[in-house]
Amino acid sequence: MTVSHPDNRGLRLLVRYIVLTLIALIFVFPLVFMVMSSLKPDLQLLTDTNSLRAFLPVGDISLGNYFAAFERAPVGLFVFNSVFVTGITVLLSLAVCSMAAFSFVFLNWKGRDVMLTIILATLIVPFETIAIPLLLIASKLPWLSFDGLTTGWLNTYRVQIIPFIADGLTVFLFVQYFKDLPRELIEAARVEGASWFQIFRRIVMPLSGPVIATAAILKFLAMYNQYLWPLMVVQEETYRPVMVGLQYFFQLNRAWGEIMAYLSLITLPVLAFYLYLQKAFIASIASTGVKG
Amino acid sequence: MANLSLRNVKKSYGNAPVIKGVDIEINDGEFVVFVGPSGCGKSTLLRMIAGLEDITDGELRISDRVVNDLEPKDRKIAMVFQSYAIFPHMTVRENMAFGLTIAKASQEEKDAKVNEAARILKMEHLLDRRPSQLSGGQRQRVAIGRAIVRQPSVFLFDEPLSNLDAALRMDMRMEISKLHKQLDATMIYVTHDQVEAMTLADKIVVLKDGEVQQIGAPMELYHHPVNKFVAGFMGSPSMNFIDVHVNAVREGEVEVKSESLEAIWIPSTIEAPKLGDRLSLGVRPQYLRVCEDTHEGKLHGKVLITERLGTETVLDLSLADQSRIIASVAEDTIFSENQEVSLTFNPLQTHLFRD
Amino acid sequence: MAFPTLSLITLFIVVPLIFAFGLSFTNQRLISPKPTEFVGWQNYYQLLDLSFVKLAPEKDADGNLLVDKNGEYKYPRLRTLSRGNPDYEHLRGMREWNSWQLGEDRLYLMARDVVFMKAVVNTLFFVMVVAPLQGGLALVLALLINQRLRGINLYRAVFFMPVVVSIVVVSLLWRLIYDANDGLLNNLLGTLSFGLIPAVDWLGSSDTAMESIIAMSIWQAVGFHMVIWLSGLQTISPTLYEAAAIEGSSRWQTFRYVTWPGLRNTAVLVLIVITMQAFALFAQIDVMTQGGPLDSTQTIVFQAVERGYGKQDISGGSTISVLLFVIVLGISLFQRYLTREKA
Repeated sequence: MTVSHPDNRGLRLLVRYIVLTLIALIFVFPLVFMVMSSLKPDLQLLTDTNSLRAFLPVGDISLGNYFAAFERAPVGLFVFNSVFVTGITVLLSLAVCSMAAFSFVFLNWKGRDVMLTIILATLIVPFETIAIPLLLIASKLPWLSFDGLTTGWLNTYRVQIIPFIADGLTVFLFVQYFKDLPRELIEAARVEGASWFQIFRRIVMPLSGPVIATAAILKFLAMYNQYLWPLMVVQEETYRPVMVGLQYFFQLNRAWGEIMAYLSLITLPVLAFYLYLQKAFIASIASTGVKG
Repeated sequence: MANLSLRNVKKSYGNAPVIKGVDIEINDGEFVVFVGPSGCGKSTLLRMIAGLEDITDGELRISDRVVNDLEPKDRKIAMVFQSYAIFPHMTVRENMAFGLTIAKASQEEKDAKVNEAARILKMEHLLDRRPSQLSGGQRQRVAIGRAIVRQPSVFLFDEPLSNLDAALRMDMRMEISKLHKQLDATMIYVTHDQVEAMTLADKIVVLKDGEVQQIGAPMELYHHPVNKFVAGFMGSPSMNFIDVHVNAVREGEVEVKSESLEAIWIPSTIEAPKLGDRLSLGVRPQYLRVCEDTHEGKLHGKVLITERLGTETVLDLSLADQSRIIASVAEDTIFSENQEVSLTFNPLQTHLFRD
Repeated sequence: MAFPTLSLITLFIVVPLIFAFGLSFTNQRLISPKPTEFVGWQNYYQLLDLSFVKLAPEKDADGNLLVDKNGEYKYPRLRTLSRGNPDYEHLRGMREWNSWQLGEDRLYLMARDVVFMKAVVNTLFFVMVVAPLQGGLALVLALLINQRLRGINLYRAVFFMPVVVSIVVVSLLWRLIYDANDGLLNNLLGTLSFGLIPAVDWLGSSDTAMESIIAMSIWQAVGFHMVIWLSGLQTISPTLYEAAAIEGSSRWQTFRYVTWPGLRNTAVLVLIVITMQAFALFAQIDVMTQGGPLDSTQTIVFQAVERGYGKQDISGGSTISVLLFVIVLGISLFQRYLTREKA
């Protein structure tokens, strides 16, 4: 650091903060606009875009748009669907992928290394390249339910959940983490008579807090924000998640106020969750970067 | 009967042999130490006994039962690891009771056994703490306590004291010794430190490159090493080896000499010694004495370095042929650098080896 | 214990990938009473076939060059070549994509699927602009955040915030911001410039549509890569910086000789991830422009979805998916090559 005159120091610091704050404003202004607009009636919302009033809660503020949004579309249902699908997928994914990772790291079986390589290779395959053929497959898969054998998984919860339970990234994260666990802990448990599943349940998983958090956050974001897949496979209202529910709002008569209310509704909880845990969120992304 | 026997036990990783045919008999209640340099296979051998490594060939018996293919938990063994391997997310009590929890034992049984083990190790006050709140020595005790709770036929220790500092190591060494007498259990202990081996063992197994060099009581190995390796390994500072050649041969005796050593008769068990044979004469530093008169002793050398330790003086000497030996003399005598000295020793306290 | 994962990944990733290849050689539809037939390379041919045609200007009976009312040469209509002209059989069914003047003659580029070609070009354009721009901006932000200032973590949290928001939400929100008449951007710019800056139809004009989407996409995603750069920056040992400071290194020199070399692998990672994410451009298009105006925002994935899902042409969609996979695979292999351990 270059030695600077005491007067300069304060000025330089101020400049840094100003630059940072200006940039921060760029990142924040659309979201502020979104929330403020959600509280204003359409007419005012649109005229407010002429000035800085767009970012201020002034004028005829109310939750009217929110109520209207609930009238226009079954928002509650959509939110439930999203939360349900996301929650179940995250939980199942953590369980299934961690078990697989345990098997790859601690157990010895034929073909283990080949299988792990294949799973890691799927990290390269972007979802978009398999979306179309997967659509065909999903439309033809059988399913056994209380009503008997049915064909086709479209317009269900399972088509939104099951294809995403196992993914290469989650497995990779767990594998890397398990590899770093002290080998002697596992051996001590073996000597004490624990079966492999008991070692998984009582020793490895309780020590896996950090990677569970990372995997859960990444999976949650991916599932909640999903668009392409639910768009293609869920036409029926009953099973639609929140992102696809947007379609109800950009039909012919575009009520921007309601749209902003809907967008705020589905985004603010995630943002709040994020701000509360932002350290963990950012650490999650950082760790995938380092390992990449 | 918690005895143990290894018969022609071998292990290879692919085509690379690491244990090359090992035979060891361990009796009930014995404290046996596997000792040797890094890479000799002692830890591998211990892990094979534990069941953490496969046995490629040969037979392992515990309590007269062949256990080659048994899982660790079925072998009635308990193991104390070098890093203690206590579970950081459990209390001391839960750590020690872990094996019983796995076996679905009743709470009473768990409490009884854990409390008993804690009493033996004098750590009742630590039972509800977490490992992060314990010192290294205390964690070691937890690891030992967990082993005791298992009530195994054989205790296995894998270099348990290596991670402790010197003072603590000595204390724990004595604790383990006391524990052995108290429990009257069979214990197998792996270490690279021959001082630990000498002080703890009923029987020592010296290993090198996957092969047993010698098995015997500590003093047996100290006074009657069968080969140069064992001779040089046991005792600290280690034994000196002087290159000599055979000058004359008699029944049970050999006269040897070298550039720095005048001819001297040594009792020998060397097979078929011939004139001119090159041998190694082993003399421990403690058995060398510096003569007042430089013509009296038969071994001539020059003092290079003097270490005065108060009770003894350790001399680093160079011999005529540029080789170096160590002498440990009991007095606090002052030697000057490059001082020529002559040393003497008792032929009965030497060993002859073919290289 | 690995069985569930292995079977799920096989069924839902490996099998579809294989199916994509297989289906691209058929005429599979999503729902169809007719059985699927094998059609060989026809789908690829339909998508990728290109032809150059050089045409001389029309001359009148005397051999003079004909000129139209604008003073430009006249050229034979392409339709005469592509609609059943026996001399130009290979051009049947193709349409004009672009043309260039070569002296007197005109060089025409014809494509069998012009929309797809435009989609490919648009996607490439998007990738080649976004990758360096977003990567570079992310690095700048990371350098700014990497300072030891009080509250720097708050700024980091704010810069990262848009990443957490769904791209769909972002797209719809920015649709209002970009709106030609009521949009925030136009109106604010107008007010701040006292009416000097005219309103622009950002999403409705083929000159600005893609660029607008680029700006918005960068806004949403740059925080993500800033974090990756940050973790790369933080693996550079502080003692290197101290050594440079002792040597009297300036800020730029320090960056060039200490920071940048340590970031090489991170740079490759960031660029590759941005590139692969960029090739998958879809949601923004679907919400904001539906491929228009004038196909200027068509993208590869949008085309794949339009065919496979919209038109139920599974085989066509699969073919595009295969092409996309090949591109992405090539880039990944290139990355492995770039970050290989140098002997």
